[in-house]
Amino acid sequence: MSAAQRLVYPVLGLLVIAAVWEGAIVVFGIPTFVLPSLPAIAKAIAADLPALLAGLRVTLYEAAVGYVLGGAVAIALALAFVLAPLLERAAMPIIVAVNSVPVVAYAPVALVALGMGSASKIAMVALAAGFAVFVNAMNGLKAIDPAAVNLMRSFGAGALRTVWILRLPAALPAIVSGLRVAIVRSIIIAIVAEMLGAYAGLGQMIYLATQQVDFLRVWAAIVVASVASMTLYGLFAWVDRRLVWWK
Amino acid sequence: MSVPAGEPIIELAGISKTFGDRDGRVVAVDKVGLRIGRGEFVTLVGPSGCGKSTLFNIAAGLADPDPGGEIRFAGTRRAGRDLLGKVSFMPQRDLLLPWRRVIDNAILALEVEGMRRADARRKAGAMLPEFGLAGFERHYPHQLSGGMRQRVALIRTFLFERDLMLLDEPFGALDALTRTMMQRWLLDVWQRHRRSILFITHDIEEAIFLGDRVVVMTARPGRIKLDVPVALPRPRPAHVATSAEFLRIKTKLLDAIEEESMKSFMAAGA
Repeated sequence: MSAAQRLVYPVLGLLVIAAVWEGAIVVFGIPTFVLPSLPAIAKAIAADLPALLAGLRVTLYEAAVGYVLGGAVAIALALAFVLAPLLERAAMPIIVAVNSVPVVAYAPVALVALGMGSASKIAMVALAAGFAVFVNAMNGLKAIDPAAVNLMRSFGAGALRTVWILRLPAALPAIVSGLRVAIVRSIIIAIVAEMLGAYAGLGQMIYLATQQVDFLRVWAAIVVASVASMTLYGLFAWVDRRLVWWK
Repeated sequence: MSVPAGEPIIELAGISKTFGDRDGRVVAVDKVGLRIGRGEFVTLVGPSGCGKSTLFNIAAGLADPDPGGEIRFAGTRRAGRDLLGKVSFMPQRDLLLPWRRVIDNAILALEVEGMRRADARRKAGAMLPEFGLAGFERHYPHQLSGGMRQRVALIRTFLFERDLMLLDEPFGALDALTRTMMQRWLLDVWQRHRRSILFITHDIEEAIFLGDRVVVMTARPGRIKLDVPVALPRPRPAHVATSAEFLRIKTKLLDAIEEESMKSFMAAGA
């Protein structure tokens, strides 16, 4: 499929959604503060662009730092657990306990401990993204053909070398899909955390605009956030296909 | 080639392996004794589930036998685990790593041993023609036929240069024609490289055609039932399978294996 052909269906989908959106406003007489028309949102984005981009920059920064931090710690932890099963048995209950509560529930703790600035958002993104990566990395590292592990052992390979030559590449598809899920999750958590208390960012803009009943601005921020999120996801899907080409 | 004199490369004496706990114990291998001489090609046949693979794993150091048995490797007494890294082992499936090219799959063991990648590749590259893989070094496993994948696995095993090679039904998954070609080819390579080989197979003709000796195992618990020398001159042409000596050995083996298969069949039905 050429790039143009790949674009046909998504563009068609967007056109259908736009038509339904505009049609619904007319047919059901939806007031503009509930559902503004698309041209009005576009106009609001254009008018507010510098502020929106400044907000986006803060949100993306928090999401990106938290994502990298959380992802790195998650992969390191998964590797450590595979190399030292005793460590896994000791630490797993704590990890399961932390993960059984929605990350947002830790927001007040993060805000009190790390303040209203970026640090608290980064911590929460790291936690959320980290779990997505950790669960996938664990599954990938463990779902390995025992016969292949035995082959490595028969060559005299130790645990560390087996991880490097066999387990890590074999787990790469699972790790990468965890990293992909974590991208979107990172942006969502950054925005939600900002809505609960922040100095800047798209989430904070959405929160303030809601307080001021400025729904055009709310929609403008939402559109900017989704476009950014989709772009990053698409970019990563492209990287994924090059990284894990053998699946 | 007849059974060589001198010390064996590996000698198993009184080797047993029991699986399970007190409630459900299964004796997979029972007091097996087996000697393989240096440069000797020994084939091992037996009904399925007779503990051939268990015996293999023990000889490769991948599984510990029950206490009481003795493993002597190159003249020295060894614990099971000591054999890891000393025996080149080829499992039933090729287990090629899908993200590695043919050449990089071939050098897997060399890489584990710490050889520099460029040196290892050069060494493996020189062997590709002999293994019928010239020009395929940059292919990926999914681009190869079953026979070619098996040959890559064999290069990988050969490059792990140890005096004893364990091959677990390496041609089991191949079609009859490819299988015949691979047997002739393996004998060729073996005669040039002179390693000791223990070769598991289901196929009696394959066992006779390849082996200096054919060892038959009994149904579970696995014991050595028969140890038949194959006094056919090498190199062996394809029509050796119609010679009187070949047929005499085949008859003997078929009788022994049928007896064992019936035993395991009856045991399964009981």
